[in-house]
Amino acid sequence: MRRVTAALVGGLTLLAITIGLILAHAPMTVAGSDRPAGQPEEPIAASHEYNSYCQGGETLPSGTSALRVWLDTIYGPRVEVAVSSQGRRITSGERHSGWVGGSVTIPVKPLRRTVSGVTVCVSFRVRDETVTVQGNATPVASATREDGQPLPGRMWIEYLHPGERSWASLLASTARRMGLGRAAAGIWVVFLAIGLAAAVIVLAAGLVVKELP
Amino acid sequence: MRLVRRIPRAAWICGLIACLNAVCWSLVTPAFQVTDEPAHFAYVKQLAETGRLPSSSSQETAAEEGAVLRALHQGAVRLRPQNQTIATQAEQEALERELAATPHETGSPEAGVAASQPPLYYALEAIPYTLASSGTVLDRLQLMRLMSALFAGLTAIFAFLFTRETLPGEPWAWTVGGLSVALAPLLGFMSGAVNPDSLLFAVSAATFYCLARAFRRGLDTGGAVAIGVVTAIGLVTKLNFVGLVPGILLGLIILSIRARRASGSSAWRPLALALALGFSPVVVYAVINALSGDALLGQVSWRASSIQSVPAEINYIWQLYLPRLPGTVNDFPGLFTTRQFWFDGYVGLYGWLDTTFPSWVYSIALIPTAAIALLCGRALVGARAALRSRAAELAVYATAAVGVMALVGAASYTVFPEVDAEYAQARYLLPMLALFAAALALAARGAGRRWGPTVGTLIVVLFLAHDIVSQMLVAARFYG
Repeated sequence: MRRVTAALVGGLTLLAITIGLILAHAPMTVAGSDRPAGQPEEPIAASHEYNSYCQGGETLPSGTSALRVWLDTIYGPRVEVAVSSQGRRITSGERHSGWVGGSVTIPVKPLRRTVSGVTVCVSFRVRDETVTVQGNATPVASATREDGQPLPGRMWIEYLHPGERSWASLLASTARRMGLGRAAAGIWVVFLAIGLAAAVIVLAAGLVVKELP
Repeated sequence: MRLVRRIPRAAWICGLIACLNAVCWSLVTPAFQVTDEPAHFAYVKQLAETGRLPSSSSQETAAEEGAVLRALHQGAVRLRPQNQTIATQAEQEALERELAATPHETGSPEAGVAASQPPLYYALEAIPYTLASSGTVLDRLQLMRLMSALFAGLTAIFAFLFTRETLPGEPWAWTVGGLSVALAPLLGFMSGAVNPDSLLFAVSAATFYCLARAFRRGLDTGGAVAIGVVTAIGLVTKLNFVGLVPGILLGLIILSIRARRASGSSAWRPLALALALGFSPVVVYAVINALSGDALLGQVSWRASSIQSVPAEINYIWQLYLPRLPGTVNDFPGLFTTRQFWFDGYVGLYGWLDTTFPSWVYSIALIPTAAIALLCGRALVGARAALRSRAAELAVYATAAVGVMALVGAASYTVFPEVDAEYAQARYLLPMLALFAAALALAARGAGRRWGPTVGTLIVVLFLAHDIVSQMLVAARFYG
C-alpha cells in the first residue's frame, strides 16, 4: 500500500510539474507571413509524386522555430523544408507524415538574426494521394518554382516563433473564448470543466488507493 | 437486477469516471468540431422530427444547422489548425442572433456520411434531442453529447467486468484495466460528441464481457440470451460491429460444443437462441430490402460484389496494420503504418483529425508503450500453461479483433489508391477496448506480485496524464 501511495503521489506530482511547464511555455505566434490578409487561398499546384517547390524573396525572421506551409491533403506525407541564403542552407526541418488539413507546421532550427532574401524549398513524396499547394496568384517573376518552372502564384508560408506571453498569462483570454459558442455561453463552462477534471482525478486516485494493495 | 447488484463498486466508480471524463471532453471540444458530428446531428434531427430515416448522403445540412455552422465559422476552423473558434463578444452576439432568427424546418433528409448507418444510436439520441427541442441547436447538441457520455460509462464498466472474467486471480488488476479505459482520452473525446461510436464501444465491450462470462461459466440460456441481445444491439448500432460477428459465431460454436460434451444435445438450444436473437435485425433488414427491391444486405452486398482482387486486398489490409511481407507490392511506401496510422492516431489526433501534438510527443510515448508491452509479454510467458488451456477462448477474441481490423481495412480499400487509408483512424479499433483493458491489467501483473500494484498505479497515472494533457491540447488548438 505504501508503494502504491508513493507511486500515486509521485505520478500526480510529475503531472502537476508537466502542466506547470506547459503553462510556462509560450505558444507559437506568427513572426512573418506572405499570406495576404483576408484573401482566400487558391490552389497553385497539385502533386501526386515526389515534388520540391522553391520560393525566393522570403524573409526569415529571427527566432523562427517553425514554418507553416499551406499544403492541403487527406493524409499528409513526410515534409522537408530547407531555407537557403545565397546558395547555402541556413536552416531546415521535417515533419513526419500523418498531418491532416490545409496546412502543415514544420519545426526548424531557429536563427538568432533575421535573414532577408532567402529561398524556402518544401519537398515531399506522395503516391496515389494528391497534395495541393495553396497560395495566391502572382506575376511569374515572383512565383513559386517547381523544377525551375514558375507556377501561377506563390505558396503561403508563415514564420512562427514562441510568443512573448506564456500560456499561463493567456489563461484568462483562453477561458473567455472557451465560454463562447455554447448552449449557454459564459465562463462557467471553464469552471465546470475544471471541476469535472478535478473530480475525475480525485475519484481515480481514491479508487487506486482503495483497490490496489 | 441480481446481475446489476453483483457488479463491484469499483466497476461503478470506473463507469462514473469515464462518464465525467466524457462530459468534460464535451465541454472542451467546440460544437461540431468532432469528425462527422454535423452529419450525426442531422440524422438525429431527421429521426426525431419525422420518425423517418435520412434518405440522402448529401453533405447539405438543414438551414437551421447550416446557419449555426456558419455563425461558428465551423468550415474555416475545421481542418485548419491555424484558425480558432469564435473569439469575440460580437461574434457570440451574431451567433445568438442567428440562433434566434433562423426558422425551424422539420427534419433533415440529408445526413452525409451518417446516412448509411443503422438507427439505434440515433433513436436513443432522439430522446435528449426532443427534450431540448424548445431550445437552440446548441442546446440540443450539448444534451445529446451528455447522452453519449453515458455510453462511455457503460464501456468502462464492461471493460472492468471483462477483465474480472478473464483475469480472475488478482482483483486489484481489474481496477487497473477498468480505470485505464475510463481515462483513455480517445474514448472521452469520441463519447463527448454526437457519434454512434460511443454506443458501439459500449456494446462491443459488453459483447466481449458476455463471451468471457460464458467461457468461464458455460453457455446457459441466460448467457445465450445476453450474447444474442448484445449482438442484435451492436448490429443496429453501427455497421462496424459486423467485424465482431466472426468472433461471436466462433465463440458460440466452441461454447456449444463444450456444453454438448457436458450435457448432450440440449446444448444446441442456447446456440439457436443466441443466433435467433442476435441476427434477427439482419433478417428484418434483408426482408425489408427484398420487399423494396434493394440488394439483400444493402451496403454489405454492394461491398461483397465490388471486390476486384482478393490477394491484393488481403495484402493491403495486412500492410494497413503491419510491415509488408517480402515479395509483396508496397501499398504504403515510406510509411510505418503500425506506428503512424494507429499508434500516433491513438496518442493524439483530435478534432477533425487536425489537432496533433508536436512530433516529439509521439516519439516519447513509445517509451512507456514499449515498457507496457514488455510487461504484458512477461505476464503471458509466465502464464503460458494457463494460456494453452484457454487457447480456444483466446482464438475467439483474436478472431473478433481481426474481424474489426479487416472490416476497417476492407472499407479503406474501397477508396484506395485515390486515398491511401481513408479509415485508418485509431477510433475504429476502440471496439476492442475490453481487450485493451485486459492487456493493461496483464502488464501490471507482469511486474510480479510485489511490484504489480505499483506498476498498475503508474499505468493509471499515465492514462490520467495523457487524458488531461490531451484536453489541454484541444483547448489550446481551438481557443488559444
